[in-house]
Amino acid sequence: MREAAALPANPLQRIPGVAIMLGVLVVVFGAIAPGFLSTANISNVLVQSTILMMLALPMTLIIMTEGLDLSMGAVLTLTSLIVAIVSLATGSMLIGLAAAVLVGLAFGIANGWLVAVVGIPPFVATLGTLGVAQGLSLIVSDGQSVVGIPHSVRDIYSATLFTVPVPIVMALVSYLAFHALLYHTRFGTYIFALGGNREALKYAGRSPTRLLIIVYAIGGAMAGVAGLLMTARMNSGHPTAGLGLEFDAIAAVAVGGTSFERGNGWLLGTLLGVVTVGVLRNGLNLMALPSSIQVASIGVLVILALFLDGLRSRL
Amino acid sequence: MKNYHNSICAALTLLVSGTLATGARADGETIAVFTKNQTNPFFQTVRVGADAAAKALGAKTLHYIPTKPDSIPEQLSQIEDVVVKKPSAIVFTPVDYKAMVPGVEKINGAKIPVVNVTDRSAGGSFLSFVGADDYSLGLGTARYLLKTLGGKGNIVIIEGVKGSLTNVDRVRGFNDALKEAPGAKLLASQPGNYQRLQALQVMENLMQSNSQIDGVLAANDAMATGAIEALEGANRKAQVIGINGTKEAVDAIKAGKMLASGDYNGFVQGCVGTMIAIRSLRGQPVVSEIVLSPTVITKENYQSYEQPLDKRSCPSWDEAAKLGAK
Amino acid sequence: MTDVTKSTAAPLRSFLSEDVIQVFYRLLAAFLICVVLSFLSESFFSLGNILNVLRQASLMFFIASGLTLVVLTAGLDLSVGANVALSACLAGTVIHHSGSATLGVLTGLAAGGVIGLLNGIMVTVLRIPSFIATYGMLWVLNGLTYWYMAGDTIHGFPSGFRQIGSGYLFGLPTPVYLLLLFLAIGTIFAQRTIWGQEIYAIGANPVAARLSGIPVNRRLLLVYAVSGTMAGLASIIFLARLNSAEADIGESLTLPAIAAVLIGGTSLFGGVGTVFGTFVGALILTLMLNGMNLLQVNANWQPLVTGIILVFAVWLDMKTRQRGR
Repeated sequence: MREAAALPANPLQRIPGVAIMLGVLVVVFGAIAPGFLSTANISNVLVQSTILMMLALPMTLIIMTEGLDLSMGAVLTLTSLIVAIVSLATGSMLIGLAAAVLVGLAFGIANGWLVAVVGIPPFVATLGTLGVAQGLSLIVSDGQSVVGIPHSVRDIYSATLFTVPVPIVMALVSYLAFHALLYHTRFGTYIFALGGNREALKYAGRSPTRLLIIVYAIGGAMAGVAGLLMTARMNSGHPTAGLGLEFDAIAAVAVGGTSFERGNGWLLGTLLGVVTVGVLRNGLNLMALPSSIQVASIGVLVILALFLDGLRSRL
Repeated sequence: MKNYHNSICAALTLLVSGTLATGARADGETIAVFTKNQTNPFFQTVRVGADAAAKALGAKTLHYIPTKPDSIPEQLSQIEDVVVKKPSAIVFTPVDYKAMVPGVEKINGAKIPVVNVTDRSAGGSFLSFVGADDYSLGLGTARYLLKTLGGKGNIVIIEGVKGSLTNVDRVRGFNDALKEAPGAKLLASQPGNYQRLQALQVMENLMQSNSQIDGVLAANDAMATGAIEALEGANRKAQVIGINGTKEAVDAIKAGKMLASGDYNGFVQGCVGTMIAIRSLRGQPVVSEIVLSPTVITKENYQSYEQPLDKRSCPSWDEAAKLGAK
Repeated sequence: MTDVTKSTAAPLRSFLSEDVIQVFYRLLAAFLICVVLSFLSESFFSLGNILNVLRQASLMFFIASGLTLVVLTAGLDLSVGANVALSACLAGTVIHHSGSATLGVLTGLAAGGVIGLLNGIMVTVLRIPSFIATYGMLWVLNGLTYWYMAGDTIHGFPSGFRQIGSGYLFGLPTPVYLLLLFLAIGTIFAQRTIWGQEIYAIGANPVAARLSGIPVNRRLLLVYAVSGTMAGLASIIFLARLNSAEADIGESLTLPAIAAVLIGGTSLFGGVGTVFGTFVGALILTLMLNGMNLLQVNANWQPLVTGIILVFAVWLDMKTRQRGR
């Protein structure tokens, strides 16, 4: 069992496994993968990571409360379909986005309710809502892609703001918002407490139930926003596009140093974790290594990152 | 650690050849080949075909396969990565024929010539399309089964993955063939998701609710073999057809267990698609569309399909150009 | 996550009867499902269909039974599906090259066991959380299997071997005998041996377990090795049943196995649950799928139904446990 070490006030004191791995990967790929360090490629890697980032940020909060959200990928798929269908019907990207966020929110609240009020373990509760979201995705689309959506949607993905691609701006803004929420508001301290010290909340007069529901609801809403990005990227809605992404998000969060127990949360670690996974895939693609090696490398990366982490916490 | 050495060697070779292969060169072109997944044997035949064609013409292939089978975001990412690398040309099977259109447009925007194989993309501009016509494959194979049954009997359809283009067309072919035979009755049409185990269990369940099944139309060979296993396990007999023309299916046809399989011929598609890409780079004439005519592999003609994959060679260009004749 | 007040010194008796009650409720649920399905579909209650359901459930049970032991220690094994795929491919190759089914069976079991052991080492020695360790292993195994199979299929096995998966013995499908055998072994092991009790103790309160002298690491290694070996066994049955092996047969196996364990009453927090419960869980899931097939329920609705059942079953579990307190 890991020691219940308190997180040092200055995160830089603890250079986690993920930072080392990211550094090593960047150096190695920069040397041997053709085109890796070009602006175009770096921009690609960051943009490709944005959808995962939007899921991994709220996933960090959820994992900090000793929970898990396995439904995120399926909810993302559903919301991306909603964006496509609603924007197609109304001609407006914003209405599509609003509908997607509402649907995501509904699922998030359902998850939170199942976990906090009914008391079902998060693994099971979110596995259940995963099935519901997956089923709904197939039903609203009848298994077909939804195409012909207004250009305003796809432009989101390719547009730039002061030469920075819009998705990166969105991810950055999300990161800053989550950072502020977690480290600079009272709500943030409550989230830490939800993980490490739930009793303290009761003494502070806060209801853990309401807080938990809010945390899962945030996850659902972010899945809604990510749905817009996904539809923009594919210029269509597809009934299976986002399935399985929640495991990538969980892995990125774990690789980034947030532990499944004890409510340790490190948002910057999550950011590094997401970028590390993206860099690995990108570098392997550029080197055109056989797909089987790529698949195995991802597993090795995840294991190695946590192994290094475990080592450091015991040194 | 051997893999590590191999990958460093491979990487260095790529780096060197990458720096050398700038500008138009007649030889040593790099063809990036995109396929849907690593698990379906069909795409392996496409890749082997592409490799064979490239080798014969003195070019090189690089394969891009999503680590998560059929993953749309991954194929999009791979396209973005490949555009940075700028291969000489691309041979492309879209993971989803509608969702990948933005990816194709990116390739077009980067002015990399691209050939569409297998699944016809719903958009983007291509040098050519090389594929088989799923609809006529379904139609032809189903017609053969119905003819064998004398135009009457109880039929079940085992469908593939809902929403996939090949499935939609093949099942449509099945249904149209059934319409032509008024004596044949369609008992059920259930999805097997192109998976062997699922088709097996679906077949088992269908046999419970239907005591007499004379013909099974399966949308691919894996499902057809699953259905055959279920039939044998229950000691029942029925005529079963599949589509793809895999080695396993050919063996089953030879042994008399499977009636027929529609020849989807991934090997030839890979060959010809790559040939077109290379020829176009070298300024040689190409054909804008080659749709392989439907061939039904049966006990009469299976011999030519028995050759193992690594011994096969691509058709010559003249033969290939004639393949598209309808 | 661990309830400090739960004592590992609780008398064996009360431990057992709590779980027995849970299993009873589940058997009742399974029975009810059968009754409902018999009304809805006239083909349900035939001998052939029941035997099919048993055979299908046994495939799921082999994987889920080993998994139960892992979950009892508050762990998880996400790699079981990929384990089945790789073990099946290796076993298939050995049978083809050596012509000996026995060697193939041994290969499958050994491959599964080695993978399980590696998982155990990652969890105990390398101190990696089981979720991540087995998730990473899942990817590594998939990579290995894809590379090894290169898109090929191994098919065509001796008919004697195939009897293990598709044959009948005195009227019952062969896998069902194995099901009963492992059900008995699993139950006896978990409830009646010291090792089994230690595993429950580790799940209920790992700190107390270690303090009371239980060699926690060795038991953990054991449960992961067992989970892996059972996946190896499942791979043999799959090989025999499908008469082939491909790289992707494991994709759809893991989550249903986990669902079976959870529906069967085993808690993710550890220390609670039974192997028999897992069997009933597998039965319930298989009955639902069978019912949906017979009733020709649209494929779109099937994941929805499975999800709802899972949540409902676990909810029921909690409600009935609370009443017992």
